[in-house]
Amino acid sequence: MYRYDEFDATFVAGRTAQFSDQVKRRLSGELTEDQFRPLRLMNGLYLQLHAYMLRIAVPYGTLSSKQMRMFAHIARTYDRGYGHFTTRQNIQFNWPKLKDIPKILEELASVEMHAIQTSGNCIRNVTADHFAGAAADEIIDPRPIAEILRQWSSLHPEFSYLPRKFKIAITGAPNDRAAIRFHDIGLQAATNAAGEIGWEVWVGGGLGRTPMIGKLINSFVPNEHLLAYLESIMRVYNRYGRRDNKYKARIKILVHEEGLETIKGQVEAEFAEVRGGVLTLPAEEVDRITAYFAPPQFTAQPATKIDVAYQSIIDPAYGRWLDHNINSHREAGYASVTISLKPVGGAPGDATDKQMDDIADIAQRYAFDELRVTHEQNLVLPHVAVADLRAVYEALVATGLAEGNTGLITDMICCPGLDFCALANARSIPLAQEISRKFAQPERQAEIGDLKIKISGCINACGHHHVGHIGILGVEKKGGELYQITLGGDATESASVGKIIGPGFEAEAVPGAIETLVDTYISKRESAGETFIQAYRRLGEAPFKEALYGAA
Amino acid sequence: MALPKLAHTPAAHDKLRALGILALNGMFDEMDAVGVLRQAATDVLPGDLAIVSSFGADSAVLLHLVAQVDPSLPVYFLETGKHFAETLDYVETLKKHLGLINVHAIHPNAADVQRFDPNGDLWETDPDSCCHIRKTEPLEPITEQYGGWVTGRKRFQTKERGVLPHFELTSDDRIKVNPLAYFNDADVNQYKIDHGLPEHPLFAKGYKSIGCAPCTSVVAEGEDPRAGRWRGLNKKECGIHFDFNGAIASPMTAATRHTLWKDGAFIADPFHEWADDSDPATASYKHVPLAVFLANRDTFLANPHPLGLLVVPGDRIEDVEADLGRFASIAIKFPAFSDGRGYSTARLLSERFNYSGEIRAVGDVLQDQIPLMRRCGINALVVTHEPTRAALLENRLPEVAIFYQPVGTTEVPVGTRPFLRRVS
Repeated sequence: MYRYDEFDATFVAGRTAQFSDQVKRRLSGELTEDQFRPLRLMNGLYLQLHAYMLRIAVPYGTLSSKQMRMFAHIARTYDRGYGHFTTRQNIQFNWPKLKDIPKILEELASVEMHAIQTSGNCIRNVTADHFAGAAADEIIDPRPIAEILRQWSSLHPEFSYLPRKFKIAITGAPNDRAAIRFHDIGLQAATNAAGEIGWEVWVGGGLGRTPMIGKLINSFVPNEHLLAYLESIMRVYNRYGRRDNKYKARIKILVHEEGLETIKGQVEAEFAEVRGGVLTLPAEEVDRITAYFAPPQFTAQPATKIDVAYQSIIDPAYGRWLDHNINSHREAGYASVTISLKPVGGAPGDATDKQMDDIADIAQRYAFDELRVTHEQNLVLPHVAVADLRAVYEALVATGLAEGNTGLITDMICCPGLDFCALANARSIPLAQEISRKFAQPERQAEIGDLKIKISGCINACGHHHVGHIGILGVEKKGGELYQITLGGDATESASVGKIIGPGFEAEAVPGAIETLVDTYISKRESAGETFIQAYRRLGEAPFKEALYGAA
Repeated sequence: MALPKLAHTPAAHDKLRALGILALNGMFDEMDAVGVLRQAATDVLPGDLAIVSSFGADSAVLLHLVAQVDPSLPVYFLETGKHFAETLDYVETLKKHLGLINVHAIHPNAADVQRFDPNGDLWETDPDSCCHIRKTEPLEPITEQYGGWVTGRKRFQTKERGVLPHFELTSDDRIKVNPLAYFNDADVNQYKIDHGLPEHPLFAKGYKSIGCAPCTSVVAEGEDPRAGRWRGLNKKECGIHFDFNGAIASPMTAATRHTLWKDGAFIADPFHEWADDSDPATASYKHVPLAVFLANRDTFLANPHPLGLLVVPGDRIEDVEADLGRFASIAIKFPAFSDGRGYSTARLLSERFNYSGEIRAVGDVLQDQIPLMRRCGINALVVTHEPTRAALLENRLPEVAIFYQPVGTTEVPVGTRPFLRRVS
């Protein structure tokens, strides 16, 4: 993991002091809320429906047990005993008091954490594949570059007041687990003809009101020019991105309206000017940062495989957990474990202070002290010896987080919705809880197989509904909450945006409608091996539409 | 400047001359000190201007201006024979530090001293006469050689100087130039700090206005700075500053509050906004909107006056790349602090086009954005927001002083990540 040196520590301390001064000026009335808003947003502080909400960056989703314990401490001391892990690989606290914020930031700084640029119209926390450095399919660990991007983008003087927020995601694997095609900039490791590793650059993806799949703007940018290339994109966006309408201000609209070729021409012209300049990234620097992310000291393991079928007979719940929550590791005898934050009936992504402490203990004991936050609102122990899986499972059972449902219908992404959010039109957590209860039976979930449901309480799409195999969008209609259903979304390398299937449903009718869609899929699928999204792509929307609304 | 040189033949003082001075003050009222001196030295009195300096506590500021405008301008120092030894040392220190190459000492007439002050105690019995023989008399033949001279006097120094304008007409029809007229105590100190000027050795000991040793005493905290001069006597001026024409030409606009922050101080702003009826052919000291400039480019290029450029969001600074050298100042408009386009403009100007003139931020300029603006190359600010003004004056901008990104042209790489890091 990356470790702060003196410079980083001084930087964060300086930023904490700066923000503390801004809080003080707000409390004294010297700053108006209008003036304070962009300043607090730049530091992850939102004013929500009921209280301030503080969003803390988990850079590229990687954290240590010590940092997780700090989250537990903050939840216990300054909040109501829980935190919420988000689709941006961050954590949010929903009930801090403004006067406590400087203290919280100070405590965070003591474990090398901060809330810098977790909101505001700036370059946000860079997100990455949650199996980075562990996954068997990886070309290269993207985290060293992600860390370099974190540094480059932190309090960037030119790009702190962009037209709108700006999100960068990076993956080093061909299987895209970071949804890079739905980010303002997506980076995917690529190899050129000479066998060198560099980056495909995708631009203009996003969700929200106007979902767009990112477009390939450059198929190979080597490490040394990556910062110069990204700065070129940022400058073009800062200068020409729309500022007349906040709903049309993201770079996806600029790319869409101007056309990829125009934007590409502008970026290339800018790149020609800055290429080879001060932003050139020396190989030694990449190596130096990479050294921080050196794999842990793996040892030869007695067991390299586990007989899931056998375990499933002995202990079905454990079998399900092995089946769904284990990801293959590049190192023989090791596996990555997903800790599901989606217990049946729970609020997706929430963890209590006690659970966070327990998870920290498990990571320290069994997983080289390392944890990840996934953009699907789960946690990951990236490096666990196969021989320790049972012990890890039992520790998770003890803390109530052993649900073996990763990738299944109850592993939903869900935004905070009208229960917390000032923007929401509809509740989403209660709906997720209802659906989760409806499909609580493990056998039923296993029968359905891989199916991603994603729920957003408003058009801003924090719950990524556009890329859910089944997406649910809460809207307000005639003073009531109504839910639209979309089908066919996909956030991976085979990216697609879901389509609205028909008129919306009342909240009570949604779980039933989901069940109808699921039953339709099961009855029409070619085999148990054909997933929902595959079947949908083969069948089209007609049979699903007919099942929901009757024959046309 | 198209202003005709004012002749200094000892003609009778007339109203036209007075009006000329009035006009000068109107034109230069809002100009900063170096601008006033430069105009005086190059346009109003080229080759015909001298500086008289006491090499006292605040003299470094005026002499620093001289060094910027032209280090070969003649500087005269009244070596009265009664100075502190520290003052004489200070003359040498400043000459060396500022690179002044035309400094002359003026000594009193030895016969006069022998005749009127044989025991060297005239300062005690008749200070006015002492000043007369050691300052006024020796200076006269010098000033007669020049059409005008420059003083370091400031309005804030005493109540009598409270209406001091930039330009005065003396009773013998010369022009006296006071570039520092509008400087206050804080301005002077800030200027000295910002430019790293050497202090008079006695300044730290409590001498705020330093003249001859016998007639200078320490000034208490809060006291009028010149209270230490001729303490206890009904005397405020030594005579060499006292001969201006009875009715001082007063400024046409009272600059009660400067809004241009530059080099660590709020200073008079020589520039004005472009107005709809401004004339491209004759405009002077205006920030011309980029679009207006492009539409009248030839006329502007033929205009001999100093001009600035106004760049608003949406303007492409590339469009005037070839003409950037034409502008003494470029104003970047921030219509709202949340509109960050100006940062890119500033970086392009300073980094790509190597524009080295003034780049000023105008509009919604607030303290929390100023550190970012500076990093992007903005070197002047027009600030009206009161808390921001206070933060600037008290030097407490909310700033993170170390940076990850290499921005700007004067990077000093430090630490183990030289390509990324910078300490301010």
